[in-house]
Amino acid sequence: MGREPPGTGLEAAAASRLRRPVFLNLTQIQMPVGALTSIGHRISGVVLATGVPAAAYLFALSLRDEGGFAQVAALFERLAFKAAAIIAIWALAHHVLGGIRHLLTDFDIGSPLRVARRSAWFVNLAGVAVALLAAGVMW
Amino acid sequence: MRVRFTGLKAWWVQRLSAVYMLLFVLFLLYSFALQPLREFSRWHAWVARPGISVAFLAFFAALLGHMWVGLRDVLLDYAKPAGLRRGLLAAVALGLLGLCIWLLVILLGLQG
Amino acid sequence: MKLSISRYDPERDKEPYLQDYEIELVATDHMLLDVLLRVKAQDNTLSFRKSCREGVCGSDAMNINGRNGLACITRISELREPVVIRPLPGFPIIRDLFVDMTQFFKQYHSITPYLVNDEPPPEKERLQAPAERDKLNGAYECILCACCTSQCPSYWWNPEKFVGPAGLIQAYRFIFDSRDRATAERLDDLDNDPYRLFRCRTIMNCAEVCPKGLEPVHAIERIRLKIAGMKEYVGGLDVHPPISPK
Repeated sequence: MGREPPGTGLEAAAASRLRRPVFLNLTQIQMPVGALTSIGHRISGVVLATGVPAAAYLFALSLRDEGGFAQVAALFERLAFKAAAIIAIWALAHHVLGGIRHLLTDFDIGSPLRVARRSAWFVNLAGVAVALLAAGVMW
Repeated sequence: MRVRFTGLKAWWVQRLSAVYMLLFVLFLLYSFALQPLREFSRWHAWVARPGISVAFLAFFAALLGHMWVGLRDVLLDYAKPAGLRRGLLAAVALGLLGLCIWLLVILLGLQG
Repeated sequence: MKLSISRYDPERDKEPYLQDYEIELVATDHMLLDVLLRVKAQDNTLSFRKSCREGVCGSDAMNINGRNGLACITRISELREPVVIRPLPGFPIIRDLFVDMTQFFKQYHSITPYLVNDEPPPEKERLQAPAERDKLNGAYECILCACCTSQCPSYWWNPEKFVGPAGLIQAYRFIFDSRDRATAERLDDLDNDPYRLFRCRTIMNCAEVCPKGLEPVHAIERIRLKIAGMKEYVGGLDVHPPISPK
């Protein structure tokens, strides 16, 4: 095709490198349990971060006066708020439990793969369990 | 920001703030389990107590520091063009600074 | 046995595609490499790296049913069919299952992968107590096959900036070698930049796929603790029975 054989032309080699495809289809790559815990940790973190301004507002409202406090209390009756709260509770549970797992492995507790996989399963399931429990309580 | 806030410093902020927040949240749950604050006056009085206010202040400082390191990690990973990354980091920093001032005002207002 | 193998010829194809093969197994076929060599006998345009055929050179690392592993030590009896074989994720594909390892080795070279000691050499060897030598266990066995690094999401997002699990377990091997005198510089190099080491999120894909059962994530934790000036742990890193692709 008019290209020099590889290794003989620096420009050709560089040019062919630019055109090289990469296999990175996440649906075709296996995600071990730890990877799910990790992506859940990141997603839950972002969910919590976006909720902080709203939480700060509710905090301020609840401390303003009687009316403000009552408004916040009334919110807990609304379905849309309950749904959001359950997602936030899942996010908090997963993030905190995953975080505790991180803190422990940071200091060499539970680091070997066998143990780490079990703790990953625990975090994944416990987060969902807490959210379901909260849903049950709110209903 | 790049040279001063090294990997290790960010890591410490994230870990220490996490530990404090965990303890604080446990403390909150314990306090509410002991005496549920269902009226405004009791809630207001409780938060206004100097010790509690300071604990809340420290909590917000920890929260904002923790959020900063976490969101910065996300941006460092995914925001590839350097200009976009720096812009987004600055926006997040400003947002957090705003939150910080707002929460400070709320807590100080209770002492009035 | 049915296989679907990723094919790509840069001269003809716009992008990689899967090609199906069917191979009659014989009694002597135990490992995936045996089957791949029979595929090549059937279709000699298929290209892949291979050498030692016993899991020590690391040449035939590839993505098997979604999980990285060495073809020569992956038992076919445990594989789900059709066996889908793709090149290592995140690495530029040169042709078929050949990937460009340039960036991978650049990261390896960047951690100074040799002993630095300018003290006058002793008469025989530089001595090292057994306890000090033990610290290298679980790290020196790395064969640089790139299974870990190509399964690491943090490396996928920033291959030029994050050293990756393989590079970092090699960095560990030198940082914790008592004969090395450049420890402070090595640690400084990894701490100075928020990318080189600290992109690691402890996802642990590396430990999951290492065909030698090593745990780079654990090595990274220990380097972090050393950078923080905290207690050093005795003994080597954990090694687990490798988990093959299924």
